[in-house]
Amino acid sequence: MPLRTSKPAQPTHLNRRTFLGASLGAGLILALEACGGTSTSSGGSGAGGTIKWAWQLPTTWDPVTSSAGSDVQMLALAYDPITALDEQGNAIPWLAESWKYDASGKQVTFTLRTGLAFSDGSPLDAAAVAKSIERGRTQQGSLIAPQMKTIKKVSASGARDVVIELSEVDYQYPLLFAGKTGMVVNPAAFQKDAAALATQPAGSGPFVVTKYVQNDHASLKKNDHFFAAGEIKVSAFDLYPQADPATVVAAVQSGQYNVARLGGAQVQQAKDAGLEVQVLDSMFVSVLDVHTGMAPFDDPAVVEALKFAIDREKIKKVANFGIGDVNYQPFPPGYVGFDPDLGDVYAYDPDKARQLLADAGYTDPVPAVFTSSGFAPAAVELIQAQLKDVGIDAKIDTIPQTQHTQLVYIERSKALTYDGFAGRESPVQAFQVLFGSEGLMNPSRTSSPQLEAQLKKVKETPTDDPAYPGLLQEATRIAVTTFPNVFLYLTPSIVARKGVSALPASPSLRRFEGVTTS
Amino acid sequence: MRTLRALWRIPSARLALVVLLGVALLAVLGGTLAPHDPLHQYTDDVLQGPSSTHLLGTDYVGRDVLSRLMEGTRLSVVGAVEAVLIGAVLGVPTGLASAWLGPRLEWLTLRVSDTLVILPFTVFAIAVAGTLGNGLQQAMIAIGILISPIFFRVTRAAALGLRKVQYVEAAELMGATEWWTLRRHIWTKVLPNVAVTAAHATGAALLVVASLAFLGLGVTPPAPTWGGMLSSDLGYLAQQPWAPIFPALLMMATVGSLNLLADAIRDATGATEAPRRRRPTPPVREERRDGVPA
Repeated sequence: MPLRTSKPAQPTHLNRRTFLGASLGAGLILALEACGGTSTSSGGSGAGGTIKWAWQLPTTWDPVTSSAGSDVQMLALAYDPITALDEQGNAIPWLAESWKYDASGKQVTFTLRTGLAFSDGSPLDAAAVAKSIERGRTQQGSLIAPQMKTIKKVSASGARDVVIELSEVDYQYPLLFAGKTGMVVNPAAFQKDAAALATQPAGSGPFVVTKYVQNDHASLKKNDHFFAAGEIKVSAFDLYPQADPATVVAAVQSGQYNVARLGGAQVQQAKDAGLEVQVLDSMFVSVLDVHTGMAPFDDPAVVEALKFAIDREKIKKVANFGIGDVNYQPFPPGYVGFDPDLGDVYAYDPDKARQLLADAGYTDPVPAVFTSSGFAPAAVELIQAQLKDVGIDAKIDTIPQTQHTQLVYIERSKALTYDGFAGRESPVQAFQVLFGSEGLMNPSRTSSPQLEAQLKKVKETPTDDPAYPGLLQEATRIAVTTFPNVFLYLTPSIVARKGVSALPASPSLRRFEGVTTS
Repeated sequence: MRTLRALWRIPSARLALVVLLGVALLAVLGGTLAPHDPLHQYTDDVLQGPSSTHLLGTDYVGRDVLSRLMEGTRLSVVGAVEAVLIGAVLGVPTGLASAWLGPRLEWLTLRVSDTLVILPFTVFAIAVAGTLGNGLQQAMIAIGILISPIFFRVTRAAALGLRKVQYVEAAELMGATEWWTLRRHIWTKVLPNVAVTAAHATGAALLVVASLAFLGLGVTPPAPTWGGMLSSDLGYLAQQPWAPIFPALLMMATVGSLNLLADAIRDATGATEAPRRRRPTPPVREERRDGVPA
């Protein structure tokens, strides 16, 4: 007879109560599993971790049809530009290890690194780069084509040299190619189905998109074919839209994200929660776009009064919690186009603003409509109050963010709008966008012969010429003092991190080389 | 007056009326009674907690929260009342007409009502604001249109019940015009139902107005509204976690009081009681001789 050491197992009777209990337990386990989601599988340390960034999703994953300047940040995860920018805004090698203009300044040759490959493993050679540039400048609906108007011909010379012939002297291309314009798209992808690029990018950047759910998230994995793949220390990158201010800190604390963009109001909260807070310089300048074809800004006196009516320091202190720097021009200090001689050219002077209006014959408050797409409500309301104080009675008109570009820049139906300029890789490109007769962010579409002439000089001057900074800064001075745009302050990117190492400083593009998770 | 006296005898109605009277006073006199200019920005005192100077503290640009709540009552309540009035004006006459003016109109009004019922409030209001521009009037028109089927259905149901009562038929037989009958016999019976519906609908409209303001629709800043204040407070929870409580409490108290009042009106007037109909003549059944129905 076998020795029994424990009670024999009782037969299980599956009655209704047992069944319900078991179901509840199984459901609970499944629910907890679902809540855990990717965090358990994607967590990890050092090499192999996942960056989960609540940042922004691009309008499209195709750099040729991208309609937002800020898209370049997300596109740079999947694509490599031909060049890059250093902290001063100078062009530095990226896919191209060097470039050289001929003596006439009408031909530039970019020499690619050796051994480059797209994320699918196919070679990224001069022929592919030439085809990609050609597509960008010729495809119908291309939004980067206007920037490449002066390109006459693009060709490959051997496996590594891309030769660009220009219709006029233009030394801006190495800078221009550091952004969307220079992002190289795999020809095999766009020759097969260019429309698919909107959701399935095909580049050579540090990551490859494996899943993209529009308006929700994008999952990316490390691209082993990236030329600096050894510098990428994480195995995956999950990209999410910007988190709600009310929940962003809790979301990082809980591990839903491990990097998230913060507003000034959340900085102290994030610090108190034990998160790493990093303030990253950016080229983002808050600005008031003014349509001088619409009343009351069709009167130069009102525009001049507007520039002196705004207490930028106060807005920075109240709306931005003191973060950022007051700025009166489209470039940040230290950037080659920043003109230090402008100083505080439009420093807050309400008396002068009132006097300007009085001299122009305004005795009653000047009615105006002030358009906002809902972001930075504190800044918008402060500006409205400051305008009222000098005699401009601006009524706030809130429009949906999704209609902002259409209403303000395409239909040009708004007289005064609060917005921001994210900067451009080439300063001439920035001038064209802000002050050009076809510039998207120039609601008036007015131009200045004086500025055009100065920009011609800038384009015709090599960027390493000692005269270049002076010419560029003169262009800045002309633009700031003759155009109606009211530049307000620089807005740095503030991020909260948890378990992610510090992000490299880079005012133009966020880079992730060397970033680790723990 | 008789109805009011009947209402006052109900304790919950007394509570609701007192709260609503306070809200009404705030709506009318809030801006005048406010201790500060609700739009004045004390930019050196941003996001301050309650103090003797600012009893409920200051908001993100230094405005006095109490003053904004008082001033915001007007826009919030007026907006809701406006929407309900639009709903009643559209819904009540069509409800009566539907019951009274023949099957073709009945069919048409029912189909329109069915169509409106399936439209979600917020989405429709956003669409209207997107088409006609972002403003309180546009949003209220949208909400009023969507509320109208509620009035339509309640009015129609009550009127249908009264259509066949004996005194109405008697009036018609004696040569009373339809207009006279409607005015004399129908309207007075329908009114309590409309009043109950209006009280409920005002509460619902108040919440929709607040929801739209929360989304940035309807009232444009810096004008204060309860929903708008609630929305902006959420961006500064780290600094003022208590701030959303004030507008939320006001909303809860007002909507709760309106619901209590609606119930009380129903109890006081018997609005939900089915109107007494003429008893139909029971069908004559043939019975078998053994008493079992055939």
